[in-house]
Amino acid sequence: MSIKNYLFILFIFLSSVAAAQTATLKGQIIDGQTKEPLSGAFVHFDGKNGGSVTDAFGHYSISGIAPGTYKLKVKYVGFTEYEGKITFTAGQSAMLNVSLLEKTESLKAVKVYGAANAESEASSRKSEKNADNITNVLSAQAMQRSPDINAANALARVSAITIQRNSGSDEAYAIIRGLEPRYNNTLVNGVKVTSPDPVSRFISLSIVPSDLLERVEVSKTLTPEMEGDAIGGTVNLVFKDAPEYEYFKANGSIGYSAIFFNRKFDDFQQGAVQSKSPTQRFGPNYVATPGYFSRSNLDFTKKNAPPTSLLGFTYGRRFLNNKLGFIIADSYQNQFYGTNSQFNVAEPDIHVSNFQPVISDVANRAYSTQQLNNGLSGHLDYKIDENNKISLDNVFLYTRLAQTRLSIDTSILGGNGGRKGPGTGTVYNDDRSFIQNQYLENLKLNGKHVIIDKHLLFDWSGVYSNAMQQAPDRADLSINHLINPDFTRTVDYYDNITRIWEKSGNKDLSAMANLGYKTGLGDNSSLEIKAGGLYRHSTRYNHQNEYILKAAPTANGGKSAFTDIYSSDFIVYNQTGTDQSDATNYTAYENITAGYGEFKLTVDKLDVVGGVRVEGTEQGYHTNPVVLSIYSDAKKTYTDLLPSLQLKYKLTEKSNLRASYFKSIARPALFELVPTPTFGQSTDVTGNPNVQHTEANNYDLRYELYPEKEEQIFVGAFYKDIKNPIEFALNDSNNGQLNTSPQNFGTAKVAGAEIVYSKYFGNLGVSGNYTYTYSNIKSPKDVPEAGSVDGKPVIKYQSRPLQGQTGDVFNLSLLYKNDKQKAFVQLAYTYTSKTLSLVYPNYGYDYYTQPQSFLALSAEKQVTKHFVLTTKVNNILNTPTTVKINNLIQSKDLYNVSFNLGFRYSL
Amino acid sequence: MKAKYIYILLAGSLLALTLNSCKKGELTTFDKIKIPTANPLAAGNISGFVKGTLLSGKTYTVTADLTVKKGDTLSSQPGAIVMVKNNAQITVQGVLQLIGTKDQPVYFNSDSNKPGTWGGFQCDTAQAITIKWTHVDNTGGPDKSGSARGTLKVKKAINVDIEDSWFTNGQDDLMALGNGAKVTILRNTISSSGSTDGEGINLKTGVTGTVAYNVVFSQAGSGIKLETSSSIPFPQTEVYVYNNTLVSNGWRRGSAEPGRGVSVGVNAIGHIYNNIFVNDYHGIELFDDGDLVHTTYGNNLFYATVDTYADLVDPNLKIDIRSNFYPASGLGKPQPTDLISTKIGNYDPLFVQFDGTVAAPNGFPNTNNFRLQSGSPAFGTGNAKYNQDIGAYTTDGKGNQH
Repeated sequence: MSIKNYLFILFIFLSSVAAAQTATLKGQIIDGQTKEPLSGAFVHFDGKNGGSVTDAFGHYSISGIAPGTYKLKVKYVGFTEYEGKITFTAGQSAMLNVSLLEKTESLKAVKVYGAANAESEASSRKSEKNADNITNVLSAQAMQRSPDINAANALARVSAITIQRNSGSDEAYAIIRGLEPRYNNTLVNGVKVTSPDPVSRFISLSIVPSDLLERVEVSKTLTPEMEGDAIGGTVNLVFKDAPEYEYFKANGSIGYSAIFFNRKFDDFQQGAVQSKSPTQRFGPNYVATPGYFSRSNLDFTKKNAPPTSLLGFTYGRRFLNNKLGFIIADSYQNQFYGTNSQFNVAEPDIHVSNFQPVISDVANRAYSTQQLNNGLSGHLDYKIDENNKISLDNVFLYTRLAQTRLSIDTSILGGNGGRKGPGTGTVYNDDRSFIQNQYLENLKLNGKHVIIDKHLLFDWSGVYSNAMQQAPDRADLSINHLINPDFTRTVDYYDNITRIWEKSGNKDLSAMANLGYKTGLGDNSSLEIKAGGLYRHSTRYNHQNEYILKAAPTANGGKSAFTDIYSSDFIVYNQTGTDQSDATNYTAYENITAGYGEFKLTVDKLDVVGGVRVEGTEQGYHTNPVVLSIYSDAKKTYTDLLPSLQLKYKLTEKSNLRASYFKSIARPALFELVPTPTFGQSTDVTGNPNVQHTEANNYDLRYELYPEKEEQIFVGAFYKDIKNPIEFALNDSNNGQLNTSPQNFGTAKVAGAEIVYSKYFGNLGVSGNYTYTYSNIKSPKDVPEAGSVDGKPVIKYQSRPLQGQTGDVFNLSLLYKNDKQKAFVQLAYTYTSKTLSLVYPNYGYDYYTQPQSFLALSAEKQVTKHFVLTTKVNNILNTPTTVKINNLIQSKDLYNVSFNLGFRYSL
Repeated sequence: MKAKYIYILLAGSLLALTLNSCKKGELTTFDKIKIPTANPLAAGNISGFVKGTLLSGKTYTVTADLTVKKGDTLSSQPGAIVMVKNNAQITVQGVLQLIGTKDQPVYFNSDSNKPGTWGGFQCDTAQAITIKWTHVDNTGGPDKSGSARGTLKVKKAINVDIEDSWFTNGQDDLMALGNGAKVTILRNTISSSGSTDGEGINLKTGVTGTVAYNVVFSQAGSGIKLETSSSIPFPQTEVYVYNNTLVSNGWRRGSAEPGRGVSVGVNAIGHIYNNIFVNDYHGIELFDDGDLVHTTYGNNLFYATVDTYADLVDPNLKIDIRSNFYPASGLGKPQPTDLISTKIGNYDPLFVQFDGTVAAPNGFPNTNNFRLQSGSPAFGTGNAKYNQDIGAYTTDGKGNQH
């Protein structure tokens, strides 16, 4: 009732502004065939500036029209344009509803410009239906309607996609069909993006605001024109293109994480973090003294967590008779979140005959994180003529992370302290302050040219991509005390402080070109032939300078007590730092040369896409270890031949049957080859130059049915044999930190089936998908109960699933849409079954991430023509991420619920 | 029309065949780094890759890191003197053979003569180690990558034979031997090593052998520590630890991580007999996770020269050394064959000369003489399987010669 009043008052207000002399036009634009409202259609008067874009319900309104006769135009990409004359008298309030009809696309001609409004849900379904390969497309409309502020959240709703989450951070990487991120590709505008993260080849999807995205395409099979290093599939984040009308959207919201209802946010003085290490400032021979190192960044204080704030806008328009267009979008997120985490190290229990794992250390860790993201994307395109177009895309992402980690670690098996019973033993406190800046710059220049009208298309791109990460002065303080068997405790001893200045970067230069020829063959048949190539040169480096500050001994030489950071007396153990020979320093490179030939043959109802791609890879690294070794420098070369054949048979106008085979690869990330440790939050990785790249044969079968416009049913099955998958196995554990290495364990068999369904019943929509995946590989394990033979452990092969592969993935979302109330509500549920996360060295045991169920709610209501109120609640079930070895809890992370309330404004 | 498709498919397969010939398997090469040839040793300044013999009576100055390649040998005649500058270390991938004599020991020291000023012997992948009658002083401290360096480090199943040598004022672990090394550690003296951490003889991951007749004085952490790998329980570490004299160890690491004379943990097996423990923070500690089923011990002598000792940082905390001979945090129990002192004067081993040190700094001078006066309770009370006497200095002359 109150909202009605509000609307009424607003209406009065708007009318009075419009004044009695001018006229107003209102109405709705719908699809003539399906009667669905068309959102984003452009309604304007020919030769006049301004106009209106339909809202989510197809409504538009133009006010302030001077009396007279106009030519009204309604444009919607992929639909035939509407044109009609209309006359207004002074003060008139006119109403006009328009139906548009879809253009039928020609299969026989090449074209430079897009076919449909790619942002809409309906066109997403259309892309899926017409794609040459097996794809799932998530539209901006679908993202806008659901509780997603970034691409990672949004992707979780695509069929057979799961999102891998890391302890302490918000989200991470996409897993396609239960295959972990390494088997997938993340593209921005069809181009691989360098990663600022030393560990991953990919950018974390959480730093890409969903606002910038026009759509997300997930391809589960590869055609020869696509890059061949994807076994699970490819995620392509397509940024917004310059619109034909003036476009402005803004949104804002504030949020809060429920974890801070129960505890405070741990903060440190960020200003005390010194951006440069002593040797960076004073040269390589500088002898650092204790006075150089700031202390207040190790003085942790408790405060109330500020609310999370999110702001974003998108603006675009065209000039010069629509020839030149630009769109610019900025998305700013200032998030405060936390993780309560338990991390336990497991070791073989020598008290039982089968040496089953037992917990050796229990660590409780509380993370408090402020993450500031800013994504700025710009797009410029110049339409020279109908046959030539040049566009420039620039993506700049900045992320700043400030994190406190407070950890309490108790040794259960004794350690240096000795332990007798619960509540006794040595207790280690390890507190860390950490600031990390990431910069990602991606510039792409692209041209499309029709060389022979309707037949020959040439397109080319040049890409510059540069990612950098800087983590200055990561400060880590460890102190310890002992609880004696009689429960008395010792004082706190100052153990160690480490200060690390870390910097890493990844730079890519790529050039690619494609030539496509298309021709008709009779009435219902056509042939397309494509050839092209790519060259990419990537370089990566990691540079670290570490200083170890040890307690100054007491007068009689012992360890000193710790009271507070300001009164600690320490000495610099390695006074010139590790600048020259830090174990983690390396430079590495990768050169890829690829070429392909592809054909697409359409004969009546059958489409055949096939061809072959060749990818040549050269990888290498250089390190500077203390002791020179031949392994300080290595080079790897391999060439892969990747055939692909995809068949699509149109059973009816609304259904397809697809079958495909393709071969693909996965390359080890550069850091995985370098035999130096890369430090993680709780797990370090030491590279292995002998690890082989992965090759896979992939077979897919899918039936698709498109009964209505926003509806679909897919049923599919797939099989993959994956030679040399790269998996992580435990080397050892030290002070509550695991050390792992990438290894090959032979060939894995992966088979699965998926079903996707979505339908609307009046105002209610339901969308669900389920994927089942089975995988198997054998790896050598130690059998401790067999003792040792000739001084060596006894090894036996154990059958297990592929690392990072999830058996069951189930997504279900319910959507309620009320046109009258102009409201959407969506409830999204995701389930993933247990997943092997790490290979344990002993026979019969592995680390498994336990099943997880996530629930999210989003709702929005349009209050005026321009304003929409939004709310999003994520992680309603407060789902823990738990890793177990059989029944032993190895780690458990809790993030709690997060709430968001905001608005959206559109022109 | 049909023929046209067949042509296309034929052309496609032909292309595939042609391209198939360009598929190449994965090749990993390590040929960029050329390891230089080793230089024969000559008196004066030495550095880089070396092999050969350090000659009697000559002095050598190590100016930068030395490496002995696999297949090469670094040996020493009695009386050779090596001075190390610039915090350099000696990396051994081949054979190390330092043979001094009682009258003409071999000397290794840094130019600054301060604890932790050169890198010691990094023998992770060495082929064999023999060290006899050699002085190794002032080792330890970080390398260029910031890692702490043990004085003698081995991570390979090789023979490690260390006899009659002196290790003085080192830092970090003194001997850190692992990965199946077969050890013979006899009649050595390890003094005042480890700054605020570091064990004297740290044996891990499947080490087997004997540690006997050694003196460990004022080590920061434990005197002798036995462990197997925490992830791979077999092969087990199994060591005979007998007739060692372990004095004033384990104080500098602080009361939260006390050091021991001898400790057994992580599925290791120890056979601990005839040792003397005096003024150690903890005496024998058998951790719950050690292989206590197969560990045997007895005939050990425990003594404290003071009733209590004030903790180094918390003077109000008075530590009763006698109650820590077998500390409550471990599972070791007094044995009927043990000689366990109950008060000052009771079972005093009667060292020839002892300054009564309990806790002392790294580098503290060891002016003591741990030989036993006649009338010592250690005589004739040992387990005869090892020796009739207890301690490093025995009446049969088999003991420590220092």
